[in-house]
Amino acid sequence: MKLIAILIAKCASFILTKIQRGGSFPGQLALRICPDLLSKLTIPCDIIVVSGTNGKTSTSNMIADLFQFHQQRVISNRKGDNLKEGITTTLLNACSITGRFRGDIVVLEVDELNVPYIIKHLPVTYVVITNFFRDQLDRSQEMEQLIRKIETALVSFQGVLLLNGDDPNVVRIADQTPQAKVVYFRAERCSTASEQSEEASEGKFCPRCDAPLVYQYYQYSHIGSFHCCKCHFQSPQSAYCASDIVVDQGRFQVLCQQYQAPVPSLYSIYNCMAVIALCDLFHLPATLPQTVFAQTKQPAGRNETFYWQNQCYTLNLVKNPTGANEVLKTIELDSSPKALMIVLNDHAQDGTDVSWIYDAQFERALALSTQFIVCSGRRAYDMALRIKYAGYQGELLVQESIQAALDTLYARPMRSYLIATYTALAPLRNAMRKEEH
Amino acid sequence: MNETIRVCWMYHNIMDLYGDKGNMMVLSARCKARGIHCEIETMEIGQPCDLCSYDLLFFGGGADREQSLLIHDLLQRKEQIASAMAQNTFIVLICGGYQLFGQYYIAADGTKINGLQFFDYYTEAAGNYKRCIGNIAIQAHLDDQEFTLVGFENHGGQTRNVAHPLGKVLSGFGNNAVDHYEGFYNGQVLGTYMHGPLFPKNPEIVDFVIYKCLKRHQPNLKYTDLAPLDDTLEYQAKTCMLKRLEIG
Repeated sequence: MKLIAILIAKCASFILTKIQRGGSFPGQLALRICPDLLSKLTIPCDIIVVSGTNGKTSTSNMIADLFQFHQQRVISNRKGDNLKEGITTTLLNACSITGRFRGDIVVLEVDELNVPYIIKHLPVTYVVITNFFRDQLDRSQEMEQLIRKIETALVSFQGVLLLNGDDPNVVRIADQTPQAKVVYFRAERCSTASEQSEEASEGKFCPRCDAPLVYQYYQYSHIGSFHCCKCHFQSPQSAYCASDIVVDQGRFQVLCQQYQAPVPSLYSIYNCMAVIALCDLFHLPATLPQTVFAQTKQPAGRNETFYWQNQCYTLNLVKNPTGANEVLKTIELDSSPKALMIVLNDHAQDGTDVSWIYDAQFERALALSTQFIVCSGRRAYDMALRIKYAGYQGELLVQESIQAALDTLYARPMRSYLIATYTALAPLRNAMRKEEH
Repeated sequence: MNETIRVCWMYHNIMDLYGDKGNMMVLSARCKARGIHCEIETMEIGQPCDLCSYDLLFFGGGADREQSLLIHDLLQRKEQIASAMAQNTFIVLICGGYQLFGQYYIAADGTKINGLQFFDYYTEAAGNYKRCIGNIAIQAHLDDQEFTLVGFENHGGQTRNVAHPLGKVLSGFGNNAVDHYEGFYNGQVLGTYMHGPLFPKNPEIVDFVIYKCLKRHQPNLKYTDLAPLDDTLEYQAKTCMLKRLEIG
């Protein structure tokens, strides 16, 4: 069965590549034929799994680069096909017909809900967890249930667990994984940290005893320095810590080494910390991460810039309130006259529940310098209502069609920021590229 | 006229799962647009609070864990809530808040949480039924008003034995996967699974709540006495969803 499954998946993959389509279909087909196919593959090298709510793709790709720059053959789902079907496709492409594996290391970005499946079926040696924020609630149900599922999956995990020590939702996992070697990374208090937070929707209660968690400071959202007011649950000692952070330049220091994050933001620094920690754990040269950061291409829709009539248009993908808030903070810093376009879709991959827009602080981008806002997508009117009730005084326009909305935006060229949910990203990028050339 | 409505947003910091703060934002804006002063105060676990002094109690939704954390505090306030009801305070309950005013709630892991037991309805985990998730539209009856409301529901709990539903389901699930009725309304307490949040796309219901709060001090007030606002965007958003759900 295994051979037939691999063969069919490979044929499908070959044909799809020929017609310039990729994706998760070959893996889906192979799993249909042989449901436990992943368990039957022989993978004789380390397997690193990267999961969490935000920063999976960036972190996982930088880790893949790290090993690639070290002359290793890396197998990785770089395009972000992070469900079990996409991961199966990636691994099958690296196998010979007989299931023999051609690679020195495997780096997998794994969707949070797929972590239990992957841990069960693959001999994973490293698990990196970036953070747990509220995401698409209709899909992942509730945060608590999600974390419990991941804890259960890791109960007998014996590899290395690399955790964000500043996220209590992530730190708590170590309580349930007695056999794992737990290593933490964190960042020292930065200049933008605060004692109060308006945006932390998680991390309110101690996962051990339910008493309120007390924060010494919040870096952003519920990421920060915390301790329980009753028991001993607190920010752990971290082996890897970013210090001397200059947030708006992305500069920081770890173990006397200077680094510059690919994006000047705190969340990017946290992503980099996972890479630096792994570099050290694998005894690779300490200078290697900086080479990776300098050459890292941001994934599509992460601070991506386009030009139209000599004006700069910055495009960002948003998936949840925390990610949106980080984008909105950079817009807030720009006091020049500008326009905004927000595309809100509600397909399964965007999250069919759009109520998260009320948890994101769109107020940050509504200063008088924001001349006009175009709302677009399947839930364009919901987005417009969010802006209206945020008290926006400028011109508010609605165009459900992405192309029509972009035309409206381009009709008045000025510095602009575009925000799109997942399924809106590709059509919007294509439309912008077309206009650029 | 110097009109004021006083609102208590109960457990605002933990029962805010589905953008429920949007409801407060819209309530406040629609009051302001009419020159009505809207004072929203918040109440946390353990915080002393005279619930009888408000015109409106608002209680949003939370996850199972949050509900079990606040239940002890909530049950201690039972008499106060009862006396607020006796003094015509209007109450809006969304999702978790709605469940906790009933007999009991059985969570996904089997834990039974006793509710305030003001009403006969009770809620059990989905069991053989799937979680009710998706867009929803209902035909709601509130006193002598009839509104078409749209929203989003996302609940595992199946609420049964609801004596006075808020309305009939036009599309979606509602209280449970079987009855085709949504929410609870008895003239004073409005409970619903509809979030999204509920208020932005349903200006009628916000205005109805404002009217109920004002009526506490002005018994002769009619719903239609509220000054109309420009709700073009609101109705475009609603129509857009109704079209998608293939309703009139």
